Amino acid sequence: MADHVTDNAPMTRAEKRQARRLRRFENPWLNPKLMWGAGLLIGIVMLGLVGRMLWNLDLVFTGSSQLKLPPVGFENLRKQPGVWGTPLGTDGSGRDMLSLIIIGAPNSLFVGLLASLIGMSTGIFLGFTAGFVGGRTDDVIRVLSDVMITIPPLLILVVFQSSFGDVSLTMMALLIAGFVWQSPTRLIRAQVLSMKQSGYVQMARLSGASTGHIMFREMLPNLVPYLFGSFIANVTTSIVTAVGLEVLGLGPQRIPTLGRTIYEAINAGALIQNLWWWWGIPTLLLGVMFVGLLLINLGLDEVSNPRLRKLS
Amino acid sequence: MSRIPREYLVNRLITLVLTVLIAATLIWIIPRLSPVDPAEIALGRMAAGAGTVENADEILATLRAQMGIDQPLVVQYFKYIKGVLVFDFGLSTAAFPTPVSALIANALPWTIGLMLISLIITFIIGNLLGALMVWEKTPRLWKVAIPAAMVFTSIPPILSGLLLMWIFAAKLQWFPLTGAYGLTVEPGWTWAFVSSVLHHGFLPALSIVVVTFGFWALGMRGLMITVQGEDYTTLAKAKGLKPRYILYKYMIRNAILPQVTAFALKIGLLIAGQVLVERIFAYNGMGKLLYDAILDQDFPVIQGVSYVIILLTALSVFIVDLIYPFIDPRVRHEVA
Amino acid sequence: MLDEHQTERPVLTLKDISIEFPTPRGVVHAVKHLDLTIHKGRRVGFIGESGSGKTTTALSVMQMLAEPGRVSTGSIDLGGTDILALDEEEMRKTRLSRVAYIPQGAMNSLNPIMRIEPQLWDAILAHEPGTSRSDLKARSDEALKSVGLPTHVGQLYPHELSGGMKQRVCIALGIILTPELIIADEPTSALDVVTQRQVMQTLKDIQERIGSGLILIGHDMGLMAQSVDELAVLKDGELVEHGTVQQIIEAPKHPYTQDLISSVPLVGGESFLNPERRAEAPKRASTEPLLRFDGVSKVYGSVTALHPLSFTLQGDKPQIISIVGQSGSGKSTMGSIMLGFNPPTTGQVLFEGRDLQRLSAVQSLEFRKNVQAVFQDPYACFNPFYRVNHALKFPFKQFGLSQGDAHTQKAMEEACVAVGLDPDLVLSRYPHQLSGGQRQRLIVARALMLSPKLLIADEPVSMVDASLRATILSNIYDLKDKYGISILYITHDLATAYHVSDYVMVLFKGHVVEAGPPKAVIGDPQHPYTRLLIDSIPWPDLKRSWGHGGEDWDPSKEEAEALSAGTVYRGDVEGFDLVKE
Repeated sequence: MADHVTDNAPMTRAEKRQARRLRRFENPWLNPKLMWGAGLLIGIVMLGLVGRMLWNLDLVFTGSSQLKLPPVGFENLRKQPGVWGTPLGTDGSGRDMLSLIIIGAPNSLFVGLLASLIGMSTGIFLGFTAGFVGGRTDDVIRVLSDVMITIPPLLILVVFQSSFGDVSLTMMALLIAGFVWQSPTRLIRAQVLSMKQSGYVQMARLSGASTGHIMFREMLPNLVPYLFGSFIANVTTSIVTAVGLEVLGLGPQRIPTLGRTIYEAINAGALIQNLWWWWGIPTLLLGVMFVGLLLINLGLDEVSNPRLRKLS
Repeated sequence: MSRIPREYLVNRLITLVLTVLIAATLIWIIPRLSPVDPAEIALGRMAAGAGTVENADEILATLRAQMGIDQPLVVQYFKYIKGVLVFDFGLSTAAFPTPVSALIANALPWTIGLMLISLIITFIIGNLLGALMVWEKTPRLWKVAIPAAMVFTSIPPILSGLLLMWIFAAKLQWFPLTGAYGLTVEPGWTWAFVSSVLHHGFLPALSIVVVTFGFWALGMRGLMITVQGEDYTTLAKAKGLKPRYILYKYMIRNAILPQVTAFALKIGLLIAGQVLVERIFAYNGMGKLLYDAILDQDFPVIQGVSYVIILLTALSVFIVDLIYPFIDPRVRHEVA
Repeated sequence: MLDEHQTERPVLTLKDISIEFPTPRGVVHAVKHLDLTIHKGRRVGFIGESGSGKTTTALSVMQMLAEPGRVSTGSIDLGGTDILALDEEEMRKTRLSRVAYIPQGAMNSLNPIMRIEPQLWDAILAHEPGTSRSDLKARSDEALKSVGLPTHVGQLYPHELSGGMKQRVCIALGIILTPELIIADEPTSALDVVTQRQVMQTLKDIQERIGSGLILIGHDMGLMAQSVDELAVLKDGELVEHGTVQQIIEAPKHPYTQDLISSVPLVGGESFLNPERRAEAPKRASTEPLLRFDGVSKVYGSVTALHPLSFTLQGDKPQIISIVGQSGSGKSTMGSIMLGFNPPTTGQVLFEGRDLQRLSAVQSLEFRKNVQAVFQDPYACFNPFYRVNHALKFPFKQFGLSQGDAHTQKAMEEACVAVGLDPDLVLSRYPHQLSGGQRQRLIVARALMLSPKLLIADEPVSMVDASLRATILSNIYDLKDKYGISILYITHDLATAYHVSDYVMVLFKGHVVEAGPPKAVIGDPQHPYTRLLIDSIPWPDLKRSWGHGGEDWDPSKEEAEALSAGTVYRGDVEGFDLVKE
């Protein structure tokens, strides 16, 4: 009925449904949740970039400052006040917390983005292949992604990293990528199969379009909101997995990461000794990162499903 | 069973077997690709204990024979697969000569207990809250409160675990900091023991529930919106049915179906998250066993624990798949 | 004017009803000051196009307007009860027990995970709590029987029922508490004509038996003429005309009503097409026939969608060949085989002598250029990501017809004008900004731009509003008449096929059952199936009652007869040769 205002032509039921579905094209990406989420993530990247320029990162080395100093404005159990030289305090081996997070926070994001990007590209490739080639190829891809989606990546990676010892950040991202291609593959395969039947793809075939044109010019643009959503969900999964490995004491040993800092804090009994900044600051940063990702995901949900927008 | 279409059943069984086989193979291959020699690690441990070791080469050879790693790879592989089928993962190197299976048998009940309770509570609460976010008769206060609670749900359970631990165990001291039961109580079916277990299990369970209910709530919200627009919901209202009855029998009952499938897909991730929670709470389950094994470089235990957890995941998925046809009649009739 | 029933107490009185929907872009007045009275036992049709407010009016009686709709003025009186004064619980009890609603989408109106019986029972229990199980069972069985369904249907799930059966279950549900008023919202829009007639008869019978009032919402003047006593014509939320069906059909006063009546094509009636101006077919290099089916069949698993069929379309003279049938007759399968989307199980489809399944890349492009299509669903045919001109521009360039952007633009504009669209208004818009009729015309314009030798039109107007159907069909007809394009017209609508085609094939379960010139096949059908189809069409003509069947009309006998009868050939036309078996 609402469409009556702008459109003089009478609308059929199907048309109204269509109009509702497509209203997202009016102004879809200017979603407050999306903006806030992106803002939080950009904040973390900026912390890494600006921090590198303004702060002396040599403080990240063991014993560079006094041990277990609290952040400025607090006192630790030994009644030592925080000092401006290490504004966020120091950990149990005298490393500056601020330097730790300047280096560590962007690292976590980097692992998540890289793993998800690789997983996503694999997913797009396999999903389109399965949807277009069909037959045996489709069966193999489908069964493989069904199987792999139930295997928790963390456990395989635990086996891997405990046998290989130290790994680099990039290596860890690559390993995680091996477990985040399944859901994009399934999603794209399903979408491709349904789009193949859609009127506009048939029209494109009638227009003599090549398979490449149909995939990339007709289908892919319509998949963008879904791909984005799946990408962000994968970033979250990848970071959770990476942090999980780090908290178990695995993952990169020589580069500071947020997860490894938490691992060391728990091992040193920081909870009982009330050294809250040691584990609390990395936890908070990870929290900010995950809230940012959640907000982006919620925003994207609303972009691709306009009915959700009404509710919020 | 006769109600489930055969083709469906066969399909799921193949997935189950493939999952377990692929996982077992990965767990076997990966350490063999590594340059690290487990026999040398064992030797190193001996050396650390005894100061010096004579005849290092001989001992190494004996250790290799004991571990079976002197045989051809194919033989090793089939021996391994055969062993895995009867839960024989060899002996723990850290707690030599305890069989890995015995260690796992001790830890497994704790994990399953914690997991079942927290997963089921999360699923129920999450879906119910998600449904209430959409239902038109939900009180306004709830409609504001539920999305606000979602903020928690973005963080992984280890972080919520840390926060809860700090607030309720370290600061307020309402709950014990670590462990699955008090050190002073004797295990057994006594009230003291059971209450101690519940007391210790509360925080780990809560840290899982707090962060994962939102995943279900969000999914349910989207599904409920779809169901709300369905013709059968409109007709249910036109039939003059009571709103609550429509909510349960028409809306939630239909919207929950894809959630059950999602449950099967996400179960692996959820269990892995729980393993980490066990680790920070030093809860006597598989997570702690795994963590200790990593510290000790105890490969047989790492392999065994990983395999059993993956098997558990695959079995849960299989069970969910078996139940599914009974809650969705369309699947039951599809193939038959 | 509604004389003999005036004395009885009205079932429903709508006084000065206005319904509005506040939206961010302003208040939409969906219904404006509507007055209407419905008497006991009377059937009243609400007719109008989508968006005319007919469903909204009916839903206001149920107090089930979609958010944020509201009744802003007037009163609704249901047999002495002021509906608008009821609280939520009272209204809930009123629904179904006093006013029942039979929804449009019967396909999805039943809860998919509940058997039929409990869905009837929960309705009774919501109004009469504590009804015993045996009582429930007796009542649900009786309701199912009353709509002509066997009682074991109660044990089935909705997905195990056919569309017609589901619609009957919805009717059974509607009458189970013998309401005073039944509102049926396009109850047959998703059904075949044969099933439509059966279901409508069931509904009329049962309504007469329980003596309730009936509101039938629809857009099909023919169906209305055959089903209701009174007609209310709605346009843009206003009641433009109300009277007995006889008054309205024989002497429509409002121009809109006149339009509605005249837009329904009649077999044997006046043609809605332009006077003929026969164009020559484009000169063809090939001496081979344009399209040849050589023993083509299609089998899906255990179902044969199309039995072996052979014909030749010469294509030297433009012609329209109609393929008529119900859903499941194999007509759409035939369409997709012709387009090369779907390989035949046996036989060959030859385009200018070349097998469609064995074309080289160059030949394939040539084939695509020469064989174009118009599909049923104009909403799906445009990629929502692009402006609509993408669908016209892309093939034009792809087939090498374009001599630069200015030329493409000019060609698009000319094609738009030719189908009666203003190029400035439509070409640079996104698909969702256009109506279904506009989109379907754009698809016709696209075909025109590419000037193919053959056009396959698969149900081109079945999803377009009634008043636009004639226009779009005449656009398509012009393609043949003015531009010399041969057309295969696939449809379920015998009346339009009668007017546009040179030759008609009637398809039934994958077989051609009757074929020949339309005046013979449709004007004077011989095969039992063709007769059944024609009997099932509701005519907007009161003298012509719905077929010759009575109240207990049962098509199963005729269908059985149709299955055993052989194909009837009713004569040939030059240029099209159907191979007789």
